[in-house]
Amino acid sequence: MTQLPTPGANPAEPPPAEPIPPSRPARPRWRETLGLLARNPTAAVSAVVLVLIVLVALFDETLAPDGPNDQDQSIALQPPSWSHPFGTDEFGRDILSRVVLGAGTSLRVGFLSVAFALVVGTLIGLLAGFYGKWVDDVLMRLMDMLFAFPAVLLAIAVVAIRGTGPANAILAIGIVYVPIFARVTRASVLGVREEVYVRASRSIGASDFRLLTRHVLPNAAPPIIVQTSISLAFAVLAEAALSFLGLGPRRPNPSWGLMLADGRGFIEQAWWYSVFPGLAIVLTVLCFNLLGDGLRDVLDPRQRTLTAGSGR
Amino acid sequence: MEQYFRWAGNAVTGDLGVSFRSGETVTSLIAERLPATLTLAVAALVVALLIALPLGMLSALHPRSLVDRFATVVSQLGISVPDFWLSIMLILIFAGTLGWLPSGGYVPLTEDPWGWFQRLILPAVATGVVSGSVITRFVRSSMLEALGSDHVRTAEAKGLPTRQVLSWHVLRNALLPLVTVTGVQLAYLLSGVVVVEIVFSWPGLGQLALQAVRDRDFPVLQGAVLLFALVFLVINLLVDLLYSRIDPRISRR
Amino acid sequence: MTAPVLAVEDLRVQLRTPRGTAHVVNGLDYTVGPGETVAVVGESGSGKSVSVLALMGLLPARTATVTGRALLQGEDLLAMSPDRLRQVRGPGIGMVFQDPMTSLNPVLTVGRQLVEGIRAHQQVTRQAARARAVELLAEVGLPDPQRAVDRYPHELSGGMRQRVVIAIALSNSPALLVADEATTALDVTVQAQIIDLVERLQSEHGTGVVWITHDLGVVAGIADRVLVMYGGRCVEDGTVDDVLERPAHPYTRGLLGALPDLAEPLSDGRRPDLATIPGVPPPPTDLPAGCVFWPRCPVRGDARCETEQPPLAFVESLSRATGSSLPHRAATWCGEGAR
Ligand SMILES: Nc1ncnc2c1ncn2[C@@H]1O[C@H](COP(=O)(O)OP(=O)(O)OP(=O)(O)O)[C@@H](O)[C@H]1O
Ligand SMILES: [Mg+2]
Repeated sequence: MTQLPTPGANPAEPPPAEPIPPSRPARPRWRETLGLLARNPTAAVSAVVLVLIVLVALFDETLAPDGPNDQDQSIALQPPSWSHPFGTDEFGRDILSRVVLGAGTSLRVGFLSVAFALVVGTLIGLLAGFYGKWVDDVLMRLMDMLFAFPAVLLAIAVVAIRGTGPANAILAIGIVYVPIFARVTRASVLGVREEVYVRASRSIGASDFRLLTRHVLPNAAPPIIVQTSISLAFAVLAEAALSFLGLGPRRPNPSWGLMLADGRGFIEQAWWYSVFPGLAIVLTVLCFNLLGDGLRDVLDPRQRTLTAGSGR
Repeated sequence: MEQYFRWAGNAVTGDLGVSFRSGETVTSLIAERLPATLTLAVAALVVALLIALPLGMLSALHPRSLVDRFATVVSQLGISVPDFWLSIMLILIFAGTLGWLPSGGYVPLTEDPWGWFQRLILPAVATGVVSGSVITRFVRSSMLEALGSDHVRTAEAKGLPTRQVLSWHVLRNALLPLVTVTGVQLAYLLSGVVVVEIVFSWPGLGQLALQAVRDRDFPVLQGAVLLFALVFLVINLLVDLLYSRIDPRISRR
Repeated sequence: MTAPVLAVEDLRVQLRTPRGTAHVVNGLDYTVGPGETVAVVGESGSGKSVSVLALMGLLPARTATVTGRALLQGEDLLAMSPDRLRQVRGPGIGMVFQDPMTSLNPVLTVGRQLVEGIRAHQQVTRQAARARAVELLAEVGLPDPQRAVDRYPHELSGGMRQRVVIAIALSNSPALLVADEATTALDVTVQAQIIDLVERLQSEHGTGVVWITHDLGVVAGIADRVLVMYGGRCVEDGTVDDVLERPAHPYTRGLLGALPDLAEPLSDGRRPDLATIPGVPPPPTDLPAGCVFWPRCPVRGDARCETEQPPLAFVESLSRATGSSLPHRAATWCGEGAR
């Protein structure tokens, strides 16, 4: 019987509607990625807004219209006006200025905790994925245990043990996301470990370290980048929650969560006190989420990362 | 599965001890607070599903329509809003400006069912919106996947009425994994209500835990953490069991 | 001549893709008479599956544009109301899908999936439909059909699932059966059994059959006529004897290993196969202006090849010689000169 030996004639294979993306070159193509991202308007706008927020946080002292701790009882709890667009609080402090300064606190805690989670989690994921066997078993079992704890509670527990304060807030939030990064990294490593060129370079005697840094890490990068953006969103939320509960950075340094906690006492007299810091949180978190979704579409079409909102 | 069992072994052997502060046993403190927290979490889940099922399904059935865009925006916002801030805003609007509902507190169902219900609404909505957003996205993507699958095409090729294709071949398949997601969300809700409880002065475990942190009352805190972990585990176990009952691919193995 | 079961006229399908508009089917014309079997062959990606999905209105409405006419017993499938189309799916056209692994709903039993198809078109009780389902499963050669009806697809092998899909397609005794790689997953005995079954159906009900396959053995065995597709076009059609014995298009000859340049035996004495036509088919988003096969054509016997699309024209035919009127056509410029 003569078979027409057409490529892909295996009936179990679906027709190749989407060409399988070729294995990525060792380095992510930054230009192309940025170009694709720019064509996704939501993600592009989010990125721009985030850059603005970061700039605000960097130049907070200069940008804030008033000193954030300038008190003036005569203008306590003033509604929004031209001189105080976001109104004033119970000490007559300008809420806009305090929101601007709060950006620094929120982003600092957010970035540092994600950096912690990123470094530790990626390292664990790399080791587990690359060495496999018992290393994988032990590390990932540990991650599963950590992951089984509800995030807020885990953070509260860390603060309870180590006391309140910025450093502990960072640790508390960071620990929550370590397992997520570990999982994402491990999955990527497993995906690329067997790819031809890794095997090829192993056979010519490349060291493990070289393999990790040259081949595995760049290939694992796309989902990690996506995850970073999404985790930043969570971290800003978590920081706000901890601050709101009085478990984060202390007064008088403004922080969005802390302002909301203070504003609660004046909710009947001063809606602006509670509204604006909250909007700042929503905007920041929203942008990180949208950017994460956009990055995922571009970098990680196979959706190896968690969607925004899971793990919350 | 086995990791859960190993977990359970450690979790249940712990003696919960006595509160540093009040001298009461941790078990009794927790038992006192647990019903309120459970009530709130379940109510929030109901709210979440009431939002997510219709919204997710509609937007999957009409991709890029107005409904779909609305659902996308709402769920994206819902995921990005801190639940405690949403709580404050709800209080501001419904308790403050409109004056329709009380701003917080708790009365037992047995004493005043209407008052109980009134006080449950706002916290349940505040927590439910967030989970609802997560579930909406899930329902949408899982429906879309089902809609595009080969077996749905087979069903259409049989000439089945559209309603039958949708209910038996799209919905049924799309909603199976929803069991898992709902379970996970319930578990997260149980811990997520911690912060919302504070805002609404809801006398649940969250308040207990936070007070314990402030008082450095470790036995109580430990007990609360252990309990949450246990609840998490039990829910995951139940979900696994339930799933294996409803998905033939697993139960027949 | 009796009225055809299916008459396809200038069928075109465009699909919107992220990389631009894909011209997947570009002007197909063919007819399938009662009891007749038309085999459609061609390389992967030539648009075979899409062309039959278009007939049944099963392409994603959002991205697909289908034009032309497809008359099923005189009624245009492409202009039907959704309700009418639903009535036609099943008793009008039965379709066997290409991928048996995913074509069945994993969470419903095989029996249920058969029964719902039967009951959508026939007023029968659940029991009667179930009995009919068992009967159908037996007919397609599924062992132990009594038990198989209550099984889930994942409990069956690929070949068994394929037979279930065939049973579903046959369950309403369709006027036209479309089989997309229907027997590829099956071993030779089962394949023969299925082909017997289909032939019986054809003689009893006058069912017309469109049989998409890669297997020239099957083509020779069952087809009355053959349609060779390339780049979404029919490049050659005719009776089995004409196309297999005297292929006129360089592509067909390539497929058959009959092209002189390509038919040189390899050093180990085997005949080279299709994979030795150098190059790959053009992407449907970017078809060549002239003859679709030109970029890969080893003959290129005419100046018009590159710039002008060759029409489907009559070529020398065995049946013409024997006095029958079944045409043999090929779309090539080198048809006259090269032979
Ligand atoms: N849903 C779709 N969206 C976009 N392009 C598609 C879609 N389905 C098929 N195609 C493209 O249409 C072309 C024809 O596909 P088709 O499935 O009809 O090929 P085929 O001849 O059946 O191949 P095979 O022998 O592999 O089954 C291919 O290039 C394919 O990539
Ligand atoms: Mg095909």
